[in-house]
This record gives sequence, structure tokens and C-alpha cells, in this order.
Amino acid sequence: MQHWKARVEISLKPGHVDPEGETTCQSLRDLTYPVKSVAVSKIYTITLEAEAQADAESQIKEICQRLLANPTKDDFTYQVAEAK
Amino acid sequence: MNLTEVADTVEDSGALRIHIINATENQLQRISSQLKLGLNPTEMKTVQAYFTKQGRNPTDLELQTVGQTWSEHCFHKVFKGTIHTPEGKIRSLLKTYISRVTRELNPPWCISVFEDNAGIIEFNKDYAIAAKVETHNHPSAIEPFGGAATGVGGVIRDVLGVWADPIACTDVLGFGPLDFNHENLPPGVKHPMYLFRGVTAGIGCYGNNMGIPTVNGAIYFDESYVGNVVVYCGCIGFLPKTKYAQNAQKGDILLLAGGRTGRDGIHGVTFASTELTKESEEASRPAVQIANPIEEEKLKRAIIRIRDRSLGSGITDLGGGGLSSAIGEMARRFRCGAHIRLDAVPLRQRGLAPWEIYISESQERMLLLIPPENAKAVLEVFDEEDVEATPIGELTEDGKLKIVSKGVEVANLDITFLFAPPPVERIATYDESQHEDATPPESHDLEKSLVRLLASSDIASREAVVRTYDHEVQGHTVLKPLHGEFGGPNDAAVIKPLDESWRGLVISCGMNPQYGKVATYRMATSAVDEAIRNNTAVGGRRIALLDNFTWGNPEKPDRLGSLVQACKGCYDSAKNFMTPFISGKDSLYNESPLGPITPTLLITAIGIIPDIRNAISLDLKVPGNPVYIVGQTFRELGGSQYFRLKGIRGGSVPEVRFPQAKDIMDTIVEAIDRRLVVACHDISEGGLAVAAAEMAFSGRGGLSLDLKDVPREKTVNRNDLLLFSESNSRLLVEVPEKHAKEFESIVTDVPHASIGRVLKDDNFLVKGLQGRPLVTADTRELLARWNMGSEGGR
Amino acid sequence: MNRDEIRVCILRVAGTNCDRETKTALQDVGMTAEVVHFKQLSTKENLMEYDMLVVPGGFSHGDYVRAGAIWGKKLMATMGKDIRRFMDEGRPILGICNGFQVLIEAGLLPQSQGVSRFPEAALASNSPSGYNCRWVYLRLETANTSIFTKRILKRTLRIPVAHAEGRFLFEGKKADRQLEELINNRQLVFRYCHEDGEYADGKYPINPNGSLYDIAGICSPCGTVFGLMPHPERAYFGWQSPNWTMETGKEPAPYGDGGLLFESAAEYLEKKF
Repeated sequence: MQHWKARVEISLKPGHVDPEGETTCQSLRDLTYPVKSVAVSKIYTITLEAEAQADAESQIKEICQRLLANPTKDDFTYQVAEAK
Repeated sequence: MNLTEVADTVEDSGALRIHIINATENQLQRISSQLKLGLNPTEMKTVQAYFTKQGRNPTDLELQTVGQTWSEHCFHKVFKGTIHTPEGKIRSLLKTYISRVTRELNPPWCISVFEDNAGIIEFNKDYAIAAKVETHNHPSAIEPFGGAATGVGGVIRDVLGVWADPIACTDVLGFGPLDFNHENLPPGVKHPMYLFRGVTAGIGCYGNNMGIPTVNGAIYFDESYVGNVVVYCGCIGFLPKTKYAQNAQKGDILLLAGGRTGRDGIHGVTFASTELTKESEEASRPAVQIANPIEEEKLKRAIIRIRDRSLGSGITDLGGGGLSSAIGEMARRFRCGAHIRLDAVPLRQRGLAPWEIYISESQERMLLLIPPENAKAVLEVFDEEDVEATPIGELTEDGKLKIVSKGVEVANLDITFLFAPPPVERIATYDESQHEDATPPESHDLEKSLVRLLASSDIASREAVVRTYDHEVQGHTVLKPLHGEFGGPNDAAVIKPLDESWRGLVISCGMNPQYGKVATYRMATSAVDEAIRNNTAVGGRRIALLDNFTWGNPEKPDRLGSLVQACKGCYDSAKNFMTPFISGKDSLYNESPLGPITPTLLITAIGIIPDIRNAISLDLKVPGNPVYIVGQTFRELGGSQYFRLKGIRGGSVPEVRFPQAKDIMDTIVEAIDRRLVVACHDISEGGLAVAAAEMAFSGRGGLSLDLKDVPREKTVNRNDLLLFSESNSRLLVEVPEKHAKEFESIVTDVPHASIGRVLKDDNFLVKGLQGRPLVTADTRELLARWNMGSEGGR
Repeated sequence: MNRDEIRVCILRVAGTNCDRETKTALQDVGMTAEVVHFKQLSTKENLMEYDMLVVPGGFSHGDYVRAGAIWGKKLMATMGKDIRRFMDEGRPILGICNGFQVLIEAGLLPQSQGVSRFPEAALASNSPSGYNCRWVYLRLETANTSIFTKRILKRTLRIPVAHAEGRFLFEGKKADRQLEELINNRQLVFRYCHEDGEYADGKYPINPNGSLYDIAGICSPCGTVFGLMPHPERAYFGWQSPNWTMETGKEPAPYGDGGLLFESAAEYLEKKF
């Protein structure tokens, strides 16, 4: 079995309110930075065992669907590479 | 000097042997600084003498253990040492002033004071209250979220460390002005807004996650807090009296439970015992601790279950100094030695040297003492709660601390030596400067002053912060920090800890750094008065006190002098109020490139209310009811918010006058018990005007006041002085019309007057000494101004 | 069955912290409530010995990933079969605050097409953002099937909320249809409102978290699974109310509004079994 490293990003689907992002944005503007918008997302770095890249990717996809993202509000993207 | 010149390895143990026996004084000092021992020349020489007598050189672990145990943070050398003052020699501040109150009063309801992790007092015949307030200034200045969160975590563990179930938290904070100019920040100092957000988020995170309501607190803003943030975290616990077990003996197992040990928090105590400099940030990064409230929640569950089954014989938390301080304290307490197998300690990362394991301050760890026959049952409980627990050694009868790493002995110290640091002698000088009457010319637009005070940084609503703390979890908060429809500022929190009893406990605090700028003796007496006054206002009595000092470098005689005077103030006022001190904690060396911190004393008061259904809130209740002032007003506006508004320093700080102060508190309690009081509020920052406005806008109606009859010293001959003086021992009381006569018969021996009436409409009216209207405001408008100030922080 | 024969299981995991006051309230209503660690239930003990299941408030597993997500998935993965049977037999399941988040993440609410594999709704970060502890008013939607509200004879209840992730929402494109379905199925139970019962209409702080359609609590189509963000167990006794001292000269009322939910459940169980 090989080790694979996945970088998963969970972000809010477009159109959903992002209160943390908005609050941060306002704070940065209060500090006089010309900030247009702030979006908050969450990044997981996952190391897992799998036979092949495709296998690792399908597991990561399932992990995202099953736990890391709530499809009602979250999008997810991931990249899988061989762990060194 | 390179360390390798004075050290060699101790077989394969991972420890180093440090050659100090033949070292010169200079070399000793370099060893102390290179190993970050924080030991001064006298202390290093004491260590050298000890090992010379042993005929061997110490290991790095032994030196670190001594360094941790003798640190200011662990040993409180300043409070226990000798001080030369202009009035003569003081052998121990603690014994001379603070704990002396308790010793002299010797109340039968004090169960354990100044000896365990938290003070313990009686609640009723079966239950006890544990209380502790910690300082966490230094860690919060470097990393505000983690520093504050671990401050809360630490004080909760102090309460667990006397087998008590945590039922409430408190927090009192001090920050620089939130609008402080970025360009004026010295390097390494973080902006007050950043610190404010981080600290409040950290406090909320820990308490909320653990399900402990944060019920009482305060926030102060002061220029001197720019370089040194003030973070006081308190925790109140509850336990059946019979379950308080600290009776371990030789053969009992030392069980380390909770999170794993890592490199975090190393040298936290020596860091806390030095001044912050611009290098502090980098140098002290390893001293920052990482918080994991869920780990502590599990730990709490397990400990309470072990307590309820009486399976343990002793317990303590791992805080400053980590294992070194916890094991040393336990061995000393039970007059035993301790043998430790360091390899048994579960580690989070590899490559830790033995001394690092032994002094690491990784969070969420507790040390339990377990009789061998109970070990299996205890380990089962921990397993069921998914908490790692590992026997790491046992108590022995030889009086020695022996530590083995990889089969090799790396420490062999006499416990008695460890707890006998060379006495510290320091010099204190008093500030004799006279504070002249700095009264400004009379101001006539008093309504404007009132409105500005309501929105000012120390008085405005704290709603924006308070709502981020869960103050309702556990379902026993009777009087909440924000009261009623309009979120008025209650004087104290009331908790009902037992389902089957109406008896409650009352938590309040008193603090005023503005007074500390002028006179620390009176700051102390005022803080004691304020804490007791707040407690009294809701119906609390049989009060116990906790003291927390945040001061500058005690090695500087003027700082130490003001500390001595504050301690004296603590003694004088607590003795007269007959309120014992039960626990305390100090944070010294709060200095930054901007200078020393304003001396800041926090007094926390824990009282009892026999029946919570008789607790009194501040909001005005029934139109037509008379409102009384109890207590006398003096011309003493030094350190007042009014003077601050006018930009005036100095002046006379409010005094506390005995025996009257105590008579007033007793009288109010009697009136409450006779059910003659429907609303009560203490008069503090902002004086009579602010207190009256708060009562009015917290209720549904209004208030009309007439100043003409307010009991006052002759020199209080101006409306502004009368409205804004912060004289101590004063309260405002709403009394039902039908009880007015009876109330007057009770307060007859203390200064009092009926000075106003509750109105049906939303008017807030004040008539001055000459009969002219001074304030004609709308309570909803005043509420809005008070709430507006709260927005500043978010 | 007699009320004291009703056995309620209050489930807990690491980070659960409202179990004690929930037990106090349930016991006071007259039922027999036990706090049971999830580990015990998934190994030693049997869910089917209980008549009602309560998932209480707290920060289960630290609320890492998303509030309630980890426990929600674990619940279905380790004892999904028991949960389905429990539900099919009409035994009530109540989720309060974090418990509501768990039920949503487990796919046990709203159950428009039965238990769902992925969450059909979300309890997202509050808007405005941050933890918020305050008393709110709830308007009871009379046309609901919940078995937890039958004893509520007034229009509004006063109960506190305390959470950072309570903004109920459906997925953007489908939201309108899902909401309509929720209303038509009589699954909408509580909405945030003003003291007089007028809906909050998204206005802060009347609606404390920005929930879609002011939604505070919903039930399954058959009414036995119910979740809400506010904490009825903290509004159980009269003295817990934030302004009980307003009633001058009187002692606090013996009970607050929260008990009505537990009382309703007890009555349902008494009749049904």
C-alpha cells in the first residue's frame, strides 16, 4: 500500500451568507485596508493509504461527502498526490 | 560559555550532568541564564552548597526542578519574603496581612484556606464551595486567544484539584484603549483591539465548550494596560464535604491523567516571573500553551466519578512548573518522598529531554493519588471516559524525589531542600506625595456629563462580550450578568447549585485601577468595599474574599511599597467587614517598554443567600415606590470616572469608613431578609448619577431624584460633586411604599434618605441642590447611549 | 404506561454538557431519565430498552469539522439500525441545540423522504457571526405534527438560545421547494418572534442567528423526531427566567415555558404505550 497526501478545501457554496468572512472584511476595512471581500474556507491535509491514485481520490471524495462537507451549504475541492 | 564545557551526559538517560560544584559565581550565573533557570546568585550558591554536601554535581533535570519550584510564580517569594519598609520589617506579606485576616477571624465555615489549589468554604451542612481566581497576564500578552483560554482551563483544573465540580466561571480583564494609535505601539506589543478580541474569544471558547457558565466579570481600559494586558480568570466549584480527600500516604500511586505531554509551555513560570521585552514574543513562544477544552471536559467527568466513589486519596492539577511542581507539592503535603518513572509519561512528540518532560506545562493534565487497591477501578473510569491515565510512580517514605529515566537515576533530591529556598529580602519605599484637591471648576451641563459617562469605556454596557459567553448552561443561573428585558448590569451573579434546596451562592467582584494610580491603600479598601457592596446588593452575606494582585516589578522599591500598602488595605478592610480571605494569586513583573502597569487589585467576593427567591435585581419595579440612598457622600473624586472625563489626575481617592461601612451592609441584608427591598444597586464608577440611571433604564419605568436630601459631607456643596462622587459603602434601594416606614426604622442608625420615586413613564429627572432641574432625559435614550459604548469592542 | 415507567435515555459523548439540567427537567416531569455514554449504548446497553431518546446540548467532539457532524455520522454508522427501529415504533427522539445539529447531520431531520444519507439542511454559522447567549421568543406553528407541543396552549414561548451555529438553511436552488414541503408536511414547529408573537422576519436579535424563515425548530413528518436550537431545559423553572424578579412581592412562578415540551412528550408516551 502506498501513502497519499490529500489537500481538501471546504468552502461555502456561492450565494450563501458567510458571516465570519463578512465580519472579518468589515474589521479590515475599519483598519482602513481597501478590502472588497473575504471568504473563509477550511483546509484539511489528510494522509491515507491506498493502492493507487484513483483509489485514494475516490476515498477522499467519499470522506468529503460523508463528513467534511454538508452538501446543503458546502463545496469541496481536493488534490491527491503521492506522499513523500 | 558553551554548555558542553560544563556538562556531560548521564549514561543513556538523555539527561546532562552540570558541573556546578567548582563553578565561580560568574559561571553559576551564566549556567542559570543559559538553562533559563531564573535563579539569582544567592539561590545558585544555595544550590551549589547543597550539591557540594551531596558530593556530586546535579543533573539538568534537578536544576530545572529547583528553578521551577523556587520561581516567583510557584513559590511567591515576594509575598513570603522579608520586606524592609519605612515602617519597619515585614516578615511575610501573606501572613502579616492577607491570611492573618482569616487566622484572626477563624470562621468555622472555612474548610481549607491558602493551602490547596482553591479555597474551600461551607455551603450548607453537606456541601462545600471551592473558589479560585488566577492571573494569566503574560501568556495572554503574547498569544491572547491561547493565553486566555488556558487561563480559564487552568483555573478550572485548580477547582478540579480539590475534587470540586466547576459550576461557574468569572473573568475580569484590562486592556489598553481600543482606539490606541498603531504608530505608538512599541515593537513586540500587540494592539489592544487584537488582544481584546483574542482574549474574550479565548475565555468564551473554553467556558462554553466545557459547559461552565461565565456569570460575572468586568472589563477596564487604561493606557497602562497597552503593554501589559490584565487577564483574571476565576472558577467556582461545588463538592460534597465528605468527598474532599487529601489523605494520601506512602505506597499510593501517582497517576497522570489527561492530555499527552509535549514541548508546549516550557519555562512558562520563569517567563511569568520576568518583565516583558520586545524579545519576549520570540523567546517565549514555547511558553505558549495550546488549549483543548474537550479533553478537559472528559477529564472532569472522570474525576467527578472517581470522587463520588471515593477512590482517590489526593489530587492536584498540573499548572505552572508541570510535573515538577505538582509532584513536589504532593510529596511535601503528604510528608513523603516520590519515585517517578519518567519513561511512563505519555508523550505527544519524540525527542523530549527528561527535564523537558518534567517541567512541560502541556495543558489538560491532572495528577491523582490512588491507593493501590483502587487503581484498577480508577483506570476503568478513565478508560470509559476515553481519557489516557498512566501510573508514573508512587509516594515513598524516604522523603526524596527520585526520578528514573531509561533505567538511570536522573534526580535524587531531598523534598525539604526543594521547599526551602534562601529567604528573599527586599526594600519598599512609600510614595509620600500629597494629593491635593484637584477639583475642576463647577460644570453645569451635568446631563451631558452623565450621557458621556454612560457611554465611556469603563461604564458602557458589556453586552457585546457577555453574550458570547454562555451564562445559562447548567441551568442554575438565577441572577444573570445582563438582567431582564433591557439587559441591565446586575451587581452580582446568583447561582442555585442544588435541585433540592433554595440556598444560593452569590458571586461579585470589586476593582478600580483608576484609584491604583493615586493611592493603593485606598484602592484596596475600596475594592474590598465594592466587592462586598455588590454582593450585599443582591442579598449576599457570610462573604469570603479572594485577592489577585497585578503589579509591576517588585524588585523596584516604589512598586513594592505600593504593594505593601495595598496588602495593608486588604487586611484593614477585610478585618473590619469580618470577611476572611480564602485564596489568592499574584502576577508581578508586569512591565513593558511603556512602563509599569497600574497597580491593579481584584477582589472577588463569594457570599451566600439563604433563599434565591429573595434575590434582588437592580431594575426599578413599581411606579410610585420611594427610592432611598443609604450611605454618605464625601468630597473624594480622586480616580473617579468624572475626573477622568475632565482629564484630571490626583485628588483624594474614596476612603472606607468603619464601623459604618459594615453597619450599612448588615442593614441592607436585614432589609432584604425582611422583604422590604424590591430593587437595589451599588453606587460605584460614575457615582450616584450613573447608578440611578442604570436602575431606571433596566426597568420599564423612569425615576425622579431630588439631591437636596442626599446625606453628604458639608464640602460636597456642588451638584456635580454630589452626582459623580464615588464614595464607598453607598447603595440605592427601591422600597415598596407600604414598607417605607419599616425600612426607615431599620436604616435609622446609618446615613440614609428618601431621594426619589419610581415613575410610570420613561423620564429620568434630577433636581439639584438649589431645586433647579439638572437632568431631564429619557431612560430609553440613556439605555441607547449605554449600549452604544458596548459597540466599541466589536 | 405510567409516567414513572417511561425511561428516557439522555445520550452523551465527549463535549456534551447539557445532560445534567436536561435530566433534572425530565425527572421533574415525572419520567425516569438516565444519562448514558454513547460508548455504552453502542456496546453494552440497548437503545430499545428506552422509550425516548434525547440528544442534549454541548460541543460534541469539540464541534470540530461542523457542529454536530462527527457525532451525527457516528450515530448512524454504529447504531443506525436501532435508531430506525426506535423511530419506526413511534418512540420520540429530541435534539436540543447541539442535539438538533446532530439530528440534521445524521439525516434524521427533516426526513422529507425518510432518513437521508447526506444532510438535507444545515445549521450554519450565525449571522451576525459569533456565539450568542440570549432569551428569545418562539412562536408555535399550530399546524404541526410534533408530539412535543400538544400541551402548549399559548402562542409564544420564552426560552434561551446559546450557540454559534444555529442558522437553519436549505440548499440555495432547492430552498423554496424544501421550505414549502416543510410547511405542507406540518414539520415547522417553532419560529423566532417578537414578544407579541409577530414573526422576527429575519430581524436581529429577535431572530438571533439569521435562520431562514425564522426557523427555530422542526420535526419529522410523523412528529416524533424533533429538533430545536433553543434550550427548553434552561427555561424549565420560573426562577430561570431572566426577569422573574419583575414580579415584585411574588415568588417566581414555579415553572417556565420549557417544561411544556417535556410534559407533552410524557403525555404522548403515557397514551401510546
